[in-house]
Amino acid sequence: MSAEALIASEFVSTGLALVLVYLFFKAYRFMRSTYLLGLLIGFSFLASSYIFLGMFLFYGNNAAISESCLWLRLITQGYGYAFIAFAYYFSGKSEKTTKYFLGLISLFSAIFVILFFVALIVAPPFLELPSIGVVDECLRVASLIFLGYIICNLVKHFESSHNASSGLVWTPLAFSLLWLVQYSLLIWGIDGSQTAFIFAHIARLVSLTLFIYIYHSSGRVGSETRKA
Amino acid sequence: MKLGKRSRIQIYFDILRILCEELKNDKPSLTRVAHIANLPYDRFQKCLNKLIQLDMVREQNGKFLVTEKGFEYINEYERINDFLRRMGLLP
Repeated sequence: MSAEALIASEFVSTGLALVLVYLFFKAYRFMRSTYLLGLLIGFSFLASSYIFLGMFLFYGNNAAISESCLWLRLITQGYGYAFIAFAYYFSGKSEKTTKYFLGLISLFSAIFVILFFVALIVAPPFLELPSIGVVDECLRVASLIFLGYIICNLVKHFESSHNASSGLVWTPLAFSLLWLVQYSLLIWGIDGSQTAFIFAHIARLVSLTLFIYIYHSSGRVGSETRKA
Repeated sequence: MKLGKRSRIQIYFDILRILCEELKNDKPSLTRVAHIANLPYDRFQKCLNKLIQLDMVREQNGKFLVTEKGFEYINEYERINDFLRRMGLLP
């Protein structure tokens, strides 16, 4: 896959993720439920991770910029999936508990990121930071765990749902595709398989498009009935 | 009607939806709407006044009609609710 095609893929992914950020902002503004902030923050982090990956590819010749972009991409992607998983975890909890824990998680995340970058810039020789490759693999495994939790949660939720319809299939499918993206990239990191790499990029675009489709296909029945 | 604690947004949605349904009657009784919405009458009056202020309900010849803005609110609420339900975030 050429660098231009990869930059274009990151550009489209950023656009799709930003549309999702807007949709969750709209849902939060309407419902005022704190757990929705987890999805809003999560997809914002994912959108920024695509921007940083695009910047990494664009500034490939400048080692300092491209390395910083790659670190930022790793951290924002990890946080993105973590916040989305937290949103699912807190979706059934009371508003007070959600507010308390989301605040606490955001505070600790911010402190960790600040400390990490301070360490990255002014790291003394005795404090050797791990290589990007190792951190990338660890965060990918963490993302797989977060996405696995979301998929299990969704399957349980839809199994117990009394109002089952075909529309409920799309969300687990979209998250399963995101899980496959991380898994394919993990394989690509190990054996350099180009098929896994290309599949990961296509699956990511499809999964983000699926989330937007879910929004656009929602609520049609009610409004159409009212119009009739 | 659900008996769990409802948010203000959900109460407004319930009132608008019931008003829509009750408008099929010649003159919907406000006491009946308050009863179906599961609200004490004084609280229902406050909500109704707020909906009038927000231009979602208007009074015409003693009838309370849901405006275009009110219909938009109902549609948007149903859409977001359905979206969150499909996303597995609402029961």
